[in-house]
Amino acid sequence: MCVLAGCDAGAWLPRRNAGPAGVLSATSRQEPALSGQGRWLASVVERGGRATLLLQEQPSGRVVQLRHFQNHQPHSSPSLSWNGRYVAALVQQGNQRLPLIEDRATGALHRLPLPADRTAVRLSLAPEGRRLAVQVAQGGQWRVQLFDLSNLLEPDLPGGIALQGGGLDTPR
Amino acid sequence: MKSLLPTTVLALLLAGCLGPVPMPIGPLNGRIEALGANRDPALSGRWLALISGRGGREQVQLLDLERQQPVPVPGLNRADAQPVSVSIDAAGERIALVRQLEGRTELVLYRRSLQSLQPIAMVPSGVPRQVQLQADGRQLAVQVSRGGLWQVDLVQIP
Repeated sequence: MCVLAGCDAGAWLPRRNAGPAGVLSATSRQEPALSGQGRWLASVVERGGRATLLLQEQPSGRVVQLRHFQNHQPHSSPSLSWNGRYVAALVQQGNQRLPLIEDRATGALHRLPLPADRTAVRLSLAPEGRRLAVQVAQGGQWRVQLFDLSNLLEPDLPGGIALQGGGLDTPR
Repeated sequence: MKSLLPTTVLALLLAGCLGPVPMPIGPLNGRIEALGANRDPALSGRWLALISGRGGREQVQLLDLERQQPVPVPGLNRADAQPVSVSIDAAGERIALVRQLEGRTELVLYRRSLQSLQPIAMVPSGVPRQVQLQADGRQLAVQVSRGGLWQVDLVQIP
């Protein structure tokens, strides 16, 4: 393996490009996030000049519509739970960037309010859906805060329900 | 801890009006604050990996959220490397890291039980930026700059 790829270049591992971003003909794709076993890929693409969350089944690339991420662009920092039941990302609301979590099984939307003196920069949803980590900017400094979601979300565990389509939404 | 109070108060007020909202985890947030200025959190299983800066130098930190304490990652950080993006699997075994070292940006995979670091080549060549390891640790997604475009590569990990 070292001979083929060159030791300095690092190991060659099986790989593929995530491919075109479905029907959106996006040319650039950022901030990838896979569900626990790789069935779902969330990423951020330009749609009408606005950074928009895109959820696709892998490896087909089939785009699944999300109910609560149609507006409030730019979207950023997507994160998925084990079976892709929960989709979390940052959205724009007024002057603030705030985390939203969509439950694809029920269609429910969960918001994380933040004090006005801080804005969210990045997030990470624990695969089981028990916790959310949010990087915020406050007073010119970055901080990371953890939030407990156990009173809000049912756990999404490995081997749990496998969503076939877009939850309650119709697949494109 | 004092600075976390506004979030807690806001969450409690909203919980009274709107039903349950996410609650800050006070003791753990205190532990995280103690590390310094933090960015790029990655949660998986009982683990939180993040990039933590103190005194102008950044490094990857790993926290065990159940024991509420930092876990050593020998061989992962280098004094002359700048971490860019980090991610961990649910078992806490594999850590994917994009870092800048000696003028180039590289993707490496760290195995905690072996304390080993393996570079992962970009094929075709490109500059990695942001990485995410899926929770079962068997595949990673990496944002790569190629020819002025951002692309996403999916890399299987044996």
